[in-house]
Amino acid sequence: MNDAAPLLEVEKLCYSYNGRQAVLNLTLSIRTGEIFGLLGPNGAGKTTTISIIAGLLSAASGRMLFEGEPFRPSHSGRHRGRLGVVPQELALYGHLTARENIEFFATLSGVPRAALRDASDRALDLSGLLDRAGDRVDTFSGGMKRRLNLAVGCLNDPALIILDEPSVGVDPQSRRHIFDALHRLSEEGRTLLYTTHYMEEAERLCDRIAIMDVGRVIAVGTACELAEQAGIPGQDLEQVFLRLTGKRLRDG
Amino acid sequence: MRLLRASWTIARKDLRVYFRDRTGMLLGFGLPVVLVLAFGFIYKMTFGAPGGLSRTTLWVTDEDDSAASRGFLERLRAADLLAVRPRTNEPRRPREELRALVEDGEAHHALVIEAGFEQTLREERIPELTMYRDPDRDMESQLVSIGLLQAFVSGDAGELAPLLTARALKLGGLPEAWSDRILDLSRGFSDSIEALFGQAQDLGLLEEEDPKPDDTDQADGGLGFGTIMSRLVPVNDVDIKPPARPKQLSFMLAHNISGISVMMLMFGLVACGTMLIQEREQGTMARLLMAAVPRESLLFGKFLFTAVVGACQLAVMFTVGALVFQVNLIRDPVTLLVLCLALIFAVTAFGMLIAAFARTTKQAEGSATLIILVMSALGGAWFPVQMFDLPTAGAIAARCTLTWWAMSGFQGMLWYGKTWTDPGVLRDVGVLLAFGAAASLIAVRLFRRRFVDR
Repeated sequence: MNDAAPLLEVEKLCYSYNGRQAVLNLTLSIRTGEIFGLLGPNGAGKTTTISIIAGLLSAASGRMLFEGEPFRPSHSGRHRGRLGVVPQELALYGHLTARENIEFFATLSGVPRAALRDASDRALDLSGLLDRAGDRVDTFSGGMKRRLNLAVGCLNDPALIILDEPSVGVDPQSRRHIFDALHRLSEEGRTLLYTTHYMEEAERLCDRIAIMDVGRVIAVGTACELAEQAGIPGQDLEQVFLRLTGKRLRDG
Repeated sequence: MRLLRASWTIARKDLRVYFRDRTGMLLGFGLPVVLVLAFGFIYKMTFGAPGGLSRTTLWVTDEDDSAASRGFLERLRAADLLAVRPRTNEPRRPREELRALVEDGEAHHALVIEAGFEQTLREERIPELTMYRDPDRDMESQLVSIGLLQAFVSGDAGELAPLLTARALKLGGLPEAWSDRILDLSRGFSDSIEALFGQAQDLGLLEEEDPKPDDTDQADGGLGFGTIMSRLVPVNDVDIKPPARPKQLSFMLAHNISGISVMMLMFGLVACGTMLIQEREQGTMARLLMAAVPRESLLFGKFLFTAVVGACQLAVMFTVGALVFQVNLIRDPVTLLVLCLALIFAVTAFGMLIAAFARTTKQAEGSATLIILVMSALGGAWFPVQMFDLPTAGAIAARCTLTWWAMSGFQGMLWYGKTWTDPGVLRDVGVLLAFGAAASLIAVRLFRRRFVDR
């Protein structure tokens, strides 16, 4: 994994909201096929960073490269087509069935009409909802919606999947199913960019982790490397995180 | 006590939430005020004349151009219920143009004071008057008849008043051979009445005129007041109406079908427009914006959806209207389609503009309700303000609404039988398309600024 070529390179990204600097000279590199974790306290700039990478926001300065090529997803639908995004909000239509939701987003992702059925079956299988395909989403539990939310984000066969706290508020069974699905995606060769507030989750899932604070990346590496960088080798990620970002409360 | 305290706590929280959305709150408070002002303005414009009735427009051309005919024209201008066109500062219009105005539906009554008016009066005969009119505009016909009668019998009408009294006596059944006696009698009667008024004025006993019109219409064995008026005032009516106009269709019915359709379409489509805001509120907008498709497709997708719903709404409204009132409203499907498409485009663009502008559903609904109700009232969807002579400011304001042009187009088709190639309908369609194009451009710019170029 260490030798893999970078899939996405982010260089000196800056973004501010109404004069408040949310991301400042942010630089990171995500390698092909890895699960890359992005951690940080509230207001560290994680959501802004993934919004820029997903093309929802345009960076004020800096640049991104995807497989070595300039990457501007905020301006190019073709560039956005290389990404799969699983937002933190349950971005689904409650009045539509699971299959209808999947087919709608698959069509938008450019899946041909003839392949829709296969694509939706694969997504339903990934979310463990094959037997509930014809049910309206507003009848689903929180965990079922989370799983469907994840499956919808992977419909376009993306090279990089961005996951913004995909397991928040779900029961252990659903969380386990989500982790299994992520491992499956990783084994298929997809690269995952993963944000979470659950340290044990990041430690268990991610090959490498970047810790952000006040709009910058303050440390990058495997969990062990981060512990060494923090000067507390052998400690768990939560201790490392608190050492690097401090114990002061963060309110965005 | 706990119940009261808990209730007050919840109410206080709701009030805080309500007042925090300042735009929504302003709309909530401003809406009734603006509506009261708008309706007050409309009713003042339409019913502000003495007696609570509005002035109706009467186009006049004076082909005699004598002192007597000019005097008659002045008395018409002074009549309470008439707004005479051309105004004194406008150029004269010949008879052919007046006839064309009635044919085009731009005017409902046009009076020609025939050449020889003064000479006929000298011969103690009632002069010739010709009225080009839309025979089915009953309400306006009655107002015009009253206005004409006023001009005939007003204090300085000279020879006209006794001539009219003589005509009334003849209509009452006195023989034609007694014409001279009748005229002498009515002249004497007029003089006596005039003397009576003079005496009352000298003694300071003359009371102010009662502005209320006599509403005992059904005197004279079932003849309406308007009918008596029209029989008394000798006018040669030239009826102009499209041959295809269905017998079951009345002017007000045609107006109501057009007005309600236009207004309800606006309400329906704006509700669809707020779906853009719902996408944002339910979190799906971000996913749509991150999809590998042009972002404007989100706005145009809503546009398309709203337009399809609008087309269905109009089709249902016209079909139900035709079935319930047994009027064939779809006589000219091409013109209906052209008008509907132009209206749907304009209204949908308007809905998109609201959706792109508003930040919350409350803001969208509040601002849309305000604009729709004001446009409906001002543009004549509720009450046919087109019938009346609006003051210049009112006329300009009315024409600034898309409702006005939609009503004009639909009325032109339904009532006057105009087709889509008629210049008037083309103008209405053009203005609606221009409204739509302007609203779309602004909506796209707003959308891009708020959701794309961030």
